[in-house]
Formats: sequence, structure tokens, C-alpha cells
Amino acid sequence: MGEIEVNYGSTLPTESLKVIAESVGIGNLSDDAAKEISDSATYRLKLVLQESKKFMMHSNRCKLLPSDIDNALKVFGIEPIYGFHAKDHIPFRYASGGGRELHFIDDKDIDLIEFVNAPLAKLPLEISIRCHWLAIDGVQPTVPENPPSVSKDVQKLECVDPLNKLKKPIDKEVSGRPSTGKAQKLRNVETVHVKQLATHELSVEQQLYYKEITEACVGSDESRRAEALQSLASDPGLHEMLPRMCTFIAEGVKVNVVQNNLALLIYLMRMVKALLDNPALYLEKYLHEIIPSVVTCVVSKQLCMRPEIDNHWALRDFASRLMAQICKMFNTPTNNVQTRITRVFTNATNSDKTALPSVYGALEGLAELGTETIKVFVIPRVRMISDRLDSPEVTQNNVDRISGNQIKHLLCKILTPVLKITHSPPDSLDEYKKEFGSVGVQLHAAVCKARTTTIIQSTSNQTVTQTNTQSRTVIGRPVAATTSNTVNPQKYVLMSQRPVVAQTPPNKTVYITQQNIKSEFQDPSN
Amino acid sequence: MEEDNKPDIKPVIDEAQKEPDDKKTSLCVALKILKKYNLNSTAETLKKEANLTDSAYNTSEHDVNNALNIFKSQGDPSVYENAYITLSKFVETSLDIYKHELGCVLYPVFVHMYLDLVCNRYEAEALKFMKKFGPGQESYYQADIQNLAIITKKEELEDNALISNYKSNEFVVRMSRDTLSLLKRHLKEKKQTVLLDIVQENLFFDVYEGIARNKQQIDAVAGGMIGEGTRQDNKSRVYYGLLKEPDLQTAAATVNLDEDEEETQESEKPKKKKSKSNPLLSKKTKIDPNAPPLDRMPLPQLREIDKKIKVQAVLDSAKRVALNHETLPSICCYTLLNCSNAVNCATISDDATMLAVGMANSRVRVWSLVPQKLRAMKTADQLLDIDLESDDVMHRILDDRSAETTRTLLGHYGPVYQVSFSPDKTLLLSCSEDCTIRLWSLLLWSCVVAYKGSYHPVFDVKFSLHGYYFATSSRDRTARLWATDNYQSLRLFSGHFSDVDCCQFHPNSNYIATGSSDRTVRLWDCVTGEQVRLMTGHKGEILTLCFSNEGRVLASAGNDCNVLLWDIAHGHLVAMLTGHKGPIYTITFSRDSTILATGSHDCKIMLWDYSKLLEDLSLDDMNVHNPTVMNNSPKYLLRAFGTKNSPVIHLFFSRRNIMFCVCSFNSPQSN
Repeated sequence: MGEIEVNYGSTLPTESLKVIAESVGIGNLSDDAAKEISDSATYRLKLVLQESKKFMMHSNRCKLLPSDIDNALKVFGIEPIYGFHAKDHIPFRYASGGGRELHFIDDKDIDLIEFVNAPLAKLPLEISIRCHWLAIDGVQPTVPENPPSVSKDVQKLECVDPLNKLKKPIDKEVSGRPSTGKAQKLRNVETVHVKQLATHELSVEQQLYYKEITEACVGSDESRRAEALQSLASDPGLHEMLPRMCTFIAEGVKVNVVQNNLALLIYLMRMVKALLDNPALYLEKYLHEIIPSVVTCVVSKQLCMRPEIDNHWALRDFASRLMAQICKMFNTPTNNVQTRITRVFTNATNSDKTALPSVYGALEGLAELGTETIKVFVIPRVRMISDRLDSPEVTQNNVDRISGNQIKHLLCKILTPVLKITHSPPDSLDEYKKEFGSVGVQLHAAVCKARTTTIIQSTSNQTVTQTNTQSRTVIGRPVAATTSNTVNPQKYVLMSQRPVVAQTPPNKTVYITQQNIKSEFQDPSN
Repeated sequence: MEEDNKPDIKPVIDEAQKEPDDKKTSLCVALKILKKYNLNSTAETLKKEANLTDSAYNTSEHDVNNALNIFKSQGDPSVYENAYITLSKFVETSLDIYKHELGCVLYPVFVHMYLDLVCNRYEAEALKFMKKFGPGQESYYQADIQNLAIITKKEELEDNALISNYKSNEFVVRMSRDTLSLLKRHLKEKKQTVLLDIVQENLFFDVYEGIARNKQQIDAVAGGMIGEGTRQDNKSRVYYGLLKEPDLQTAAATVNLDEDEEETQESEKPKKKKSKSNPLLSKKTKIDPNAPPLDRMPLPQLREIDKKIKVQAVLDSAKRVALNHETLPSICCYTLLNCSNAVNCATISDDATMLAVGMANSRVRVWSLVPQKLRAMKTADQLLDIDLESDDVMHRILDDRSAETTRTLLGHYGPVYQVSFSPDKTLLLSCSEDCTIRLWSLLLWSCVVAYKGSYHPVFDVKFSLHGYYFATSSRDRTARLWATDNYQSLRLFSGHFSDVDCCQFHPNSNYIATGSSDRTVRLWDCVTGEQVRLMTGHKGEILTLCFSNEGRVLASAGNDCNVLLWDIAHGHLVAMLTGHKGPIYTITFSRDSTILATGSHDCKIMLWDYSKLLEDLSLDDMNVHNPTVMNNSPKYLLRAFGTKNSPVIHLFFSRRNIMFCVCSFNSPQSN
């Protein structure tokens, strides 16, 4: 009611009218005249709007478009304002000039040459129809064309406020099985309101799906795995199977860490990635299973049979990125995921006893959490780690030496961009040595090199510098879905099997590609 | 703006046309009064003094009355406020049983008081009055109040459609006799002339004997722009029954023959079919006592092809899935892609083979939904070679080389608001903002006729189920009945107070239902052209109408997100179904009349248990005066299906009870 009240008798401000009058060359519009004109203009404006609302209504829209106003003007016998297009969003901007606030639309100068040389705009896509089953015998199938059975918001609400679910009456508005089934009848019969238990049964189809997916994910057939992961990352109906999937991953990690089965651990991490990328799922309820598994893959002492040959570093890198993604998606003041994870990693780097692969994992994990984390938790410890790497026990052992080199390499990679900003040139080798120990030499060289390349590039081409700085920030940020942007080509090993799905919303790809599913639907009427 | 307006059929108040100067009128009024009390000598003196001739003195009664009214109230604008406050206090303090009926008076009184204030140039007071009492009115009047608040000056009163509605029509208030006498007593006691005048001049009391209605009963039927429908409006008899189906035996035989030829391999099957279908076709439907006489409305003769289509329909319906609250329909959804904000309407042909879509960019597009593509007719030369006697002549005239899955029909030059297939699906009608209705041939794929009714956008067009006739509804506040072979409309149904937004043929083609922005549903007799039902209860513009298969119940829905069901036999509101959260664009009944489906802008399709509702209603033994309105929506809601960000434009049950849904996908970016 309140807002309605405000709307009664609103008029155009006389100030605006005076400004408009000025713009057409009438300098001294009296207040009375302005008031009269404002009243009359307001009345006409309202009439036009009232009429254009009708045209909006008949076009099945809830948003008024310029064409509606044109149609309304036409009806009133006024020439429409042809050629006027409004962008989707016209923000109100205010400029205070000469002591009054003015609303104006920012009309930028367009450089004609640039405009002419610009590539042609994309043609609008042809209108097409797509056919699918919205419901089969009253059950909505969970296909990508249908909305997810339990929307992400609802899932989110359920984990924040589990009681909410109980409050709601039996909801006929959610899809899935018809509510007229046996369960509801029973519920209707019982007079005592029994707390609704979550149903844990999976339908036969879902059991089959679970079996197929898990087998494909850890099996040997790479193409099937790609398909399975694609399904995990895009299927909207996985909500009910999620607890089982998470348990599968958690158990799988437990077993395979003990057995040092690197390949399987990688597969399981890719499953985590796929689930995280699924836009219809909200994993917070299952973090207690997922996080330990992922952290294990980051900091475990040994992940493979032959640590000197196998590339378990890539798994650690990948798992760290997953960890960063989880932190970014689910960190709240209540669960404090990021703080707790940071603590775990920091503890690992603090101790002298920690195995070197674990130190590597912890450092990588911290690095993925962002530049600030690197500044606060990594840089102060570099000297200690460096000293440890130089100690005789490490240098004499072959495996440890390889690990040491990996750590040094990693430190160079993650610290260079940070040091380049925190340390102002000129870089003195001695200072670096003093601050970082023996790693300081490599760091110094890397920072110097980075500085010179930046200068060269900046002198040669402006745009390259821009992209360069962009990629730098990417490294420092807790990278979520942008894994493919990072520099190390080795990392592609894990992800190269399939295109990164998360970057294009699946529903979009689904809707634009005109897959021919007609055969399935052949005229259901007959 | 208002002078060169297109001819509008709004009733014009002519008091403003020949406004004599104020002084003269005042004197005339004074003379009248003197005359009334037989003070002849004074009158003579006055006449002399003022130099008045007899002709001037003979100003019309109307002018004088008007001036008198002005004089009466000109004294003090605060009279209005006080009067309104006393009235609302009286309503508040009266007995609970009368309270709600008395409350109905407040809104019309409010409107007319505001108009009087504006008319007497108390602009500031009018605004104050509006601000003080406007928000307190019922929520369903708020839209009108906002439109009313636009008017702030006397000059603006004249050309406003809404105002002329209020001025030239009496606001209908239904009241029990007791309540009315209570109100009358109050008015007499208080002696507030403003109030008395308004009640006498602008309100019409539709009195009934019995107990006063309660809040729910009133709210259910309130909301019309000019109040409720009177009982008189719904007195006349409506033949809501269905026509007797023509005998299809002979046609069936030929169809079965065709099938025999086609399915020579499976020799047993056709025989079975034949024996099965015969009883269906020969089933003599009892003559419905409520059906109109067959010759009441001249209907087109059934051609051979029509019979074939009918037989096919009957055969199809034999394979129909029986739906009930446990077996819900399958829904096949056609999503229109890459056209957010561009699709205005969609419709599916009765045999579910074609989809027609009307666009905002003035095109009509037709898709084939089956593997058989859309073909055009051969050229005239080629047609000469065809043997007219051959059985498959309809196939032969079509050119296979022209087959396409989709075709565009160009011709309109404004947004297309509705499309409608003819029953034999050789013709398509479309109506548009460009004020024309176009008839397209689906054999030639070109426009055949452009009908023009008035210079106003046409919002809805519907083919009669028997073909030949079609109905349109337009912004000019009329609905029209047309025949395809006549350039002029056959009937013009006028009576709505605002745009007519939708129309629908009764299954027996004798009646047309219309829904309007004045929030009323009306039923018109195609034969006499008269309004036979006026039903109020909607709280917003009505966007869609649908008759039940047996013809007795009419469902309507629109901007107020409610679905209302009306009993055509008496013109009563019988049920209200709520649940949608956006404007409802489409309603449909399943072919076996068990399920009602609604589709809305909120991207939801809701299925309602119509058979159960009908059972609970027991239409035949209903209280005729105060029918109870079923509004226990959750009880009847079977399921709600969501689409993915795609407002539902059209719903349709195929002959086999498969539901088809047409929706247009709004990509999240462009929304």
C-alpha cells in the first residue's frame, strides 16, 4: 500500500521542464507555466504508459519495451518515435551541474573509423523449436531441458536451515514422482505428524546409473570416462544420488592412497571436479567427505608406487585447485572452510618432519588460495624450507633431491609474481639470499627475468602487457574453473581428455545445439 | 491527441459541448427555482433586469441540473471528506452481517467524490482525498484507482475512457433488502446531500431477498470495473448443451476402406478396427435437453473431407488414455528458442500436426510437428492434369518439391496477437496490432483475405469448431462475429467497458464468450447478438477462456493469476483456483474432461483435478442466489510442472490426451 500512495499525483519536476525548455531555446519559462506544462505532460505521459502496458500484456511479457510505447502512440493517433531502441538496462545517472541534479543518458562518442573497421556483428540466431518430454505419465524426467528437480537454492536452503524442509507441507510443486503414490496415502492416514524422513531408496534406473557411472569413472576406457564425467558435470537429476557418489569418492581415496594407486586417485579427483562443476548440485552437505579426500590428495606422503618417476605432482596441483575452488564456493563465516584449510596447510609447512612431497602439496595448496595467502603464509617460511632442502639428508637421498627440486621450482613459480610486486627494483642478489636462503638465487633470477620481459613487452605492444598482467593475477587468485589458463602444460594431462565444461553453462550449449532428438519423440499423438 | 483520436464508441457526455457562460446559467437556475415556488412576479423582475429572453431561459433541463449540482457542492470541499468519513464509520460500526455488503458502497462513492472534486476544480483537495482514502480501497480496485489518479484537472475528465465509464453507467451493487434499507435509513438520518446525490445518481442496487452475503462471497464476485453483474443480466436461457453429432457411418466406411487398402499385409487388423469403431460411431448420443435446436445457428454443410476428419478424430479418441488423478498425462513440450520477447502467441492444430506462432515482428510461422512436411499446391497448369475423380486427389494437388518443415507467412505490419487453425486445417487466421485479421490458405501459403473491422488493434481471433465462422475481439471494446466468405462482420457485440482481450467459441458455436480489461466475462448469443451472461469476479485483465467439453462450464484466467470457473447455465462463479504466480496465458481441459491444465508466465504448468471438482460442485442442485464458491485450491491441484525459464504460451490436449505445451525460452542474459 505504501508504494501505491507514493504514486498518486506524482508529476514531472518543474526543474526538468525548465531544462528541457532551455534546450529548445526558451530561456525564461515562468514557474506557473512550467507547472501547467508539467501537469499536462504528466497526464499525457501517464495515459500513454497506461496504454502501452496493454500492449505489453498482449505480447506475453512483463517488461515494457519501446515498441509497446510506439504502439500506444499509434493508437492515440500520434506518430511513433521511430528508430528508437533502448538497451536492456538504462541506468539512471545523476550529474550535479549548476546546483541541480540532472538525469541523463550517457551517450558516448563513437569513433567512426573504429566502428567501420570493427568486425560485423553476429547475426541473430534463427528461431527454432526443440521438443522434449516435460512429463511422462505425470513424472518429470530429469533431462537437461527440464529444470532440476530440487533447485540449487532449495538445496542451499536445506543445508543452512534443515528445519525448513519439515515446515513445508507436502509439496506438489516439486517434480519427480507423483505425490499421489503410496507414501502420501500413508501420510494422509496417519493422524500424528511424524517427522518426514529423507528417502534413501534409489529407483532401479538410478541404481543402474550409479553403477555405470562409477564403473566408467574408474574404469580403463577413456572415452567412456569422458562421457561419465560429462554426465556428472551437467545432469540435473543427480541430487538424490549425491550422498552415494560422495561416499564412493571418499572410500575410493582412502583405499587407493594406501595402495598408492595414482591413476585411480586422479580419476576420483576428476569426479569431484565434475560434481563441483554441475550447476544443479550444491555440495555443502557433503563437504565433510569431499574435503578430507581432496586434502589427502594434496598433502599425502606418498601417492604413487615410484615417487621418483611417477608424476604425482600433477595430482597434487590438480587437487589444490579443487580445494581452492571448494573454498571459493562454500566458504561462509559459519563453516570457515578457508581458514581451516589454510591452517592445515600451514601446519604441514611448519614442521621439519613433514615429508617433502607433503610440503610441496601444502605450498601449492596455499598458493592456490591467493596472493594474500602467499604473502602471509609462504614467504616467511621460504628460508626455513630452503635451509631444509640444502641439508645433507635431503641432498644425499635421490628421491628427496627430486622432491627438493620440485619444491624449488614451485617456489619460483608461485613467488615470482608476488615478489615482483612486493619487492621494488633494483633486486639485490644478496638481499634475496639473506631473505630466502639458497632458493633466493633462483628467485632473484626469475624475478629479474620477469621484470625484463614485462618491460620488453610493454614497449613492443600494449595489449600483450594487458594479457600478461591478467595471467599473472590468474595465478595468484584462488582459481576456480580457469584451470586451463594456468601456465604449466603438465597440468593439462589431467584435464585434456575433455573440454572444460564449466566455462560454458550447460543449459546454453544444450539449447543452442539443435540435437536431433526427434526420433525419440516421433509424434506422440499417434 | 484527443481531437484527432480515432472514432471511439465511448458514450460521450455532452454537457461540455455547448457550455453557456456561467452567469447566464446561474440566472436560469435562479429563474427555475422561482418558477418552482410560483414566485412569478420576482421572476419577471429578474428576467427584465438580467435581459433574459425566453429562448435563453429555455436552456435544457440537463444544464440546469448540472449547474444546480455544482451549486450544491460548491460551498465546501471538506463536505466530501466528512461525508466519506461518516459513511465509512457507519460501515465499520454496523452489524457484522451487513458490514461487508455495506462496504461495497465505499468504492463507488469514493470514485464519484473524487470526480466531483476534480470537476469542481478543487484539485489540491482531490489529491488529498485520493491520498487519504485511495490506499484503503480493496486491492483489486487499485489498478483503476491509479488510472483515476492520473486525472487531476477538469479538462482531463472529458476525453478519458475510464471516466466516461463511471459517468455514464451506474455502478452495480448487489445487496440484500435488509442491508439496503439500513443504508437508506443512514442516508436519511445524516442528510448529507453530496452522499445522497452520488448514491441516487451513480449507484444501482440489485436487491435480492435473503441474508446478506459474507466477506468471502462478496470478494469472490467483486472486482468488475462497474461493479457486479445484475441478476437481470443472467436471466435469459442459454442453450449450453452440445449439438447432435452428424451420422458418420457412411464416411466411416470409406475411411475404413482406405485403411484396408493401406494395410493389406495385416489382413486381420482392419477388420478388428472396423468392428471396434462402428459402435463408437453409431452410438446415438441422447439429445441433450439443453442443446440449441440444430437450425438455430446455420452451420456449414459437412463436406466429405470434414466427415473424414471427424471420423479420424473419433477413431483417434478411441485410443485415448483415460486420465484421472492417478494417471496424469504425458506432456510433450515444444520450446521456441532464440526468440525471447518475440513470440506473442502459439497454437496447435486439432490433430497436433502443425504449430503456428505469431511473432512480435509481424510474422506468422508455421511448423510441421510430424515427419510429413508442409507442402504447397501445384501451379494451375499442373493442376489441370490431375484426375479429379481419383481418391487421393488431396495428395495429388500438393507439390512434393515444395515440402518444408517450417514456413513464414508475411503480410501483417504489426505484432501478431493470435493465430487460429480452421478445423480442416487448410486455413489459418491471424490478428494483429495493424487492425486487420488475415485469413491464410495453408495450401497456397499466402494471404487470402484481410478483414478490417475498425481502426483498433485486434487482440484475439478464434475459429468456430464447426469452421466457417470466427470471432474476434479488439481494443475498440467490441467482439465481432465473422464468416470467412464475408468481408464485413456479421455481428458486433458491444457492451464491455474496456478492451476485449480474449474471445472463445462455445463448442456448439451458438455463443461466444469474451473476457475484457474491465474484468468481466460476458457471453453473447451469435444468433440474436445479445449479451446473455455477465460474470464478474476477476481482479485483473482476462487473457484466456476455455469451455469445458460438455459446454456447461467456462474457465477463465488472466493477469490476476486466478483461474475462475463459471456455470454458464446460471452465470455463477462456481470455483476459484489459485496457485500461479504470474499472468496465466492458457487454459485447457483434457479431452475426457477430467483434468484442467493452466500455463502461466511463471514458467509453470498446473494440473487440476476437474472431475473431483465437478463432483464436489454438484452443479444441478446449487443455491441459485448465493452459490458457494469452491476455493480450496490445494485440494484440487494435482501437479505443477516447471519449465526451464520458459513462460508457457499455449497448452493443448491431443485427441489421445497427450498434452502439448508451447513455451518460449528466455535466455537468462536477455531477461
